[in-house]
Amino acid sequence: MPFLNTIYWVVWKDLISEWRTRETISSMLFFALIVILVFSFSFAMDQDAARQLIAGIIWVAFTFTGIIGIGKSFTSELQNDCLESLQMSPVPKGAIYLGKVTANFLFMFAVEILLFPLFVIFFNLEVVEAVGMLFLVFFLATLGLSAVGTLFSALTVQIRAREVMLPVLLLPLAVPVMIAAVEATRGALNGDPYAFYSQWLHLLVIFDIIFTVVSFWLFEFILDS
Amino acid sequence: MSAIQVTSLSKAYGFYRIFEEISFTITSGACFALFGPNGAGKTTLLRILATLQAPSKGQFTIFGQDGVAQKDSVRATLLFIAHGSHLYEELSATENLQFALALRGKSPDPSHLKRALDQTGIGAYGNLKIRQFSAGMKKRLAIAKAIVAQPKLLLLDEPYNALDDGGIAITNQLIQDTMRSGGTVIMTTHDRNKAAQIATEGAILQAGRLQLLSPEELQAHALS
Repeated sequence: MPFLNTIYWVVWKDLISEWRTRETISSMLFFALIVILVFSFSFAMDQDAARQLIAGIIWVAFTFTGIIGIGKSFTSELQNDCLESLQMSPVPKGAIYLGKVTANFLFMFAVEILLFPLFVIFFNLEVVEAVGMLFLVFFLATLGLSAVGTLFSALTVQIRAREVMLPVLLLPLAVPVMIAAVEATRGALNGDPYAFYSQWLHLLVIFDIIFTVVSFWLFEFILDS
Repeated sequence: MSAIQVTSLSKAYGFYRIFEEISFTITSGACFALFGPNGAGKTTLLRILATLQAPSKGQFTIFGQDGVAQKDSVRATLLFIAHGSHLYEELSATENLQFALALRGKSPDPSHLKRALDQTGIGAYGNLKIRQFSAGMKKRLAIAKAIVAQPKLLLLDEPYNALDDGGIAITNQLIQDTMRSGGTVIMTTHDRNKAAQIATEGAILQAGRLQLLSPEELQAHALS
């Protein structure tokens, strides 16, 4: 199974490199902590008010934190011209793409798992009954952001102003995922019946499929160009 | 039998023409040395053959496969040792070899990797991260990569840079082994003497034109 093997080795390489430097995770966590602190001190909220706004705050923190991680995904390949070895690789480029998406997803999801308890503490949230649903929302939205973000990370990596261009290009496409994620998170935090916000979860699944399939198909052209 | 056939190849960046209408053939099992002054386009030509850049005009085939239309098949046959080492700083030497093989769709065999590291004189540093390697050690590791990958076409950009005498001998051994197994080597170099010792064919790329050298001219160029 050379295809699955390539995915495995790309994920392995990204995870082991990150484990040894902790550059991406630490910068993501640092940024997210600042966002949480600023918002928590900016709003002296009671629990009800917090529940109305917290979903948006969570996804602002998660999305911008994710962009930091996604951006580093391909800039790390510039050192020693490693990007060229990915370009010259005869393996299907889709496998490299899926490996990168998986690694980005794992970084983002790990940071979200670490950050969420801080949201609960700082914003005094009651989430015991909603935890399962919240993590399903985090999972689906993070997958969508990783799928489209990885493609744009590859697209912008050779641009001089890549740090600026990545969010500029990525955010308009990520808006539907963010809106669906915010609505589904709000529904789960409010304790609404599943039927009230299930359409947002369905939308996330649809975006995940579309983004992954289209990006998988486009990746080869972008990596080669 | 020709391994590489280049026909009327041109490359330009905007209005700036690097080379124009160059054609040449390299036979299977040959070592082709490409000489020329800085900025002549030697590396650009190598990058085109490595499928990293597209030519502006013309075509080339590698082992009968079109270098533009059949990129993936061509890529499976070649290995490019470039100025950038293509090595990951946070991985060890062994891990870099493992990953390089995985990117070629091959399963890494630990004993094979160890042998390649020993052959290149860096066997003792297999577990050391690349960021602790010197430029010469990185070059040796790139050679180890070629040993484990066993490509049919080896593209070497200034292969003797940063290498000590031992490293140069290892590089020449790799070139000879590749040629002996029917593979083809193309190298760019400014070191005429070293190239003349090993090259069987050669050319000078200058002012956008390619001048092919006969074996006698190749030797004479080395001595000039």
